[in-house]
Amino acid sequence: MLTRGTLIYIGQRLLLIAFTVLAVSFAVFAALHSLPGNPFVNEKLHGAELAAQMHLYGLDLPIPIQYWNWLKGAIHGDFGVSLAILNEPISPIVFREFSVSLMLGGAALLITLGLGTVLGVIAAARQNTWVDYTLTTFAVIGYSVPSFVLASVFILVFGVWLFNVTHGAFYYPLNWTGTYGTIEELSIPAIALGLYTSGQVTRITRAAMLDVIQQDYIRTARAKGLRQRIVILRHAFRNALIPVVSIAGPLIITIIVGSVVIENLFGIPGLGKEFVESILRHDYNIAIAVFTLYAALIGVANLLVDIAYAAIDPRIRY
Amino acid sequence: MATVVTAQIAEEDATQGGVLVREQVGLWRDGLRRLRRNKLALAGAFYLIFIVLVALVAFAWTPYKPSAQNVCPVEFAYADGISAAHPFGCDPLGRDILSQMMQGAQISLIVGVGTSLIVCVVGISVGLLAGFSRGVLDAVISTVINAFYGVPYLLLSLVLYLVLGPGLLTIMIAISATSWMDMARLVRGQALSIREREFVEAARASGTRQGRILFTHIFPNALGPIIVQATFIIPVAILTEAFLSFLGVGIRPPLFSWGAIASGSNTGGTPLNLLQSAPWIVLFPSAALSVTLLAFNFFGDGLRDAFDPRQKR
Repeated sequence: MLTRGTLIYIGQRLLLIAFTVLAVSFAVFAALHSLPGNPFVNEKLHGAELAAQMHLYGLDLPIPIQYWNWLKGAIHGDFGVSLAILNEPISPIVFREFSVSLMLGGAALLITLGLGTVLGVIAAARQNTWVDYTLTTFAVIGYSVPSFVLASVFILVFGVWLFNVTHGAFYYPLNWTGTYGTIEELSIPAIALGLYTSGQVTRITRAAMLDVIQQDYIRTARAKGLRQRIVILRHAFRNALIPVVSIAGPLIITIIVGSVVIENLFGIPGLGKEFVESILRHDYNIAIAVFTLYAALIGVANLLVDIAYAAIDPRIRY
Repeated sequence: MATVVTAQIAEEDATQGGVLVREQVGLWRDGLRRLRRNKLALAGAFYLIFIVLVALVAFAWTPYKPSAQNVCPVEFAYADGISAAHPFGCDPLGRDILSQMMQGAQISLIVGVGTSLIVCVVGISVGLLAGFSRGVLDAVISTVINAFYGVPYLLLSLVLYLVLGPGLLTIMIAISATSWMDMARLVRGQALSIREREFVEAARASGTRQGRILFTHIFPNALGPIIVQATFIIPVAILTEAFLSFLGVGIRPPLFSWGAIASGSNTGGTPLNLLQSAPWIVLFPSAALSVTLLAFNFFGDGLRDAFDPRQKR
């Protein structure tokens, strides 16, 4: 499988990822540093004191030079120190939050893919029946209702209403206690995040299944006398997965973006919450680190998706 | 008897003939007829017309000024949400939620349609340029498009919006900056395929100038997919605005958008607090937003089926 062409292709893609991450990090670096205000507003510094503080953190240098200094550290995984919490190194914070977001996003991705493909296969197997119409309508509703709306409803139902009904015996705890969170705490946010994208997966799976079912080899399998279940699951489903994998890249981006809102809503201490908060308190270094991490993550995820794509579909060669 | 039967058959033939060889209709009438048969798309269209009417009315009249404080007693605001004078309740500063939501309809439509227009201008020009010129320019543009696909769009819009400063135009620019790629890629693909068709070749052979080929032959033939794509941008833009406003960095008072009302950021609160104390303030704008997005999706799907039948879902 790993021919010379494939390796060259992967190399090109890695170059594009590096280019994107560099461009994005510089753009965000320049943009954030051009925002009015500075990170030391809360300390009420003025005049010479402020200038001294800015000089201490190198914030008085021209932006390209500041970026160069930042980049030198970032390449070694050192994203500098926080500007709001004095001298707190960023990398440990960001990597801890990254693992929280990864758990949330990973769970959401599993829910999306699992639910979406199952419902899509059922809809296709019962094409043009009420089952099909119900599922496809729900799919459109699913991706029309934003994840934060769904999450709000979940909070009301599982956090507030269930608490009142069971008198506090059984409910979803709204306040995040630890740094990492338990499965219980992750469940509702992950479902809210995953349901939103599962509608798209349902639609794609259904369309792909309907396409595959018309192929000759499915007719052959049926003519051999195989049961419907075997034909659908073993013969049709595998090939219907190919288009699903092709949208996995955009799906991951949607989940990352959704996780920013979900984390802020539920108060989950992940990358998304940190990103918004750090921007609002002018903690440039953290915001840039988070953004760069996201861009790198998306690039690598897209590359992995494309490699998986080639692996499951022998017709595709890079 | 026999003559009656033959007469019937002749009549049926005539009617069937009428159906089979129907009168010639253009792209627009043909599409409209297909659109009218799609019930969900029609329902979506009617809801959207309703929202447009609400937005238009809100320009002239809202029950109260959306930003006017203490239009209901402050102690009344959270304690009991709904009354005849304030059907959707009031926020903690005593502002009427219904009035804010009517303005929210305006904001959503302006942001949605405005973003779609900006994306059309940018996407179509970039796409035509790349598809028609091919070569190095195409490679550069395609690389830039691919690079943009690797960016978490909401976060880039957020940063850009903060840099550009608050305002309706700036939020449209910030959202456009991360959603023009689909349009550009679509137009590029269309231009690439249409420029190889026989009628373009014929135009070229008869000595038509490049610019004329581009604008009178290639562009009009790509219009169907472009219109469909443009309608799909609108809900994406509305959703992105709602996301930004829900995070508390989008539309701010004295303007009110659905996302901002639902987040409670207008009064310095968090959505979680609001859900525990006054859930209806979250639910009403959320519902309005969701149904609007749903209507756009149903209508957009209908449009695609009607005007762009070649494209598969």
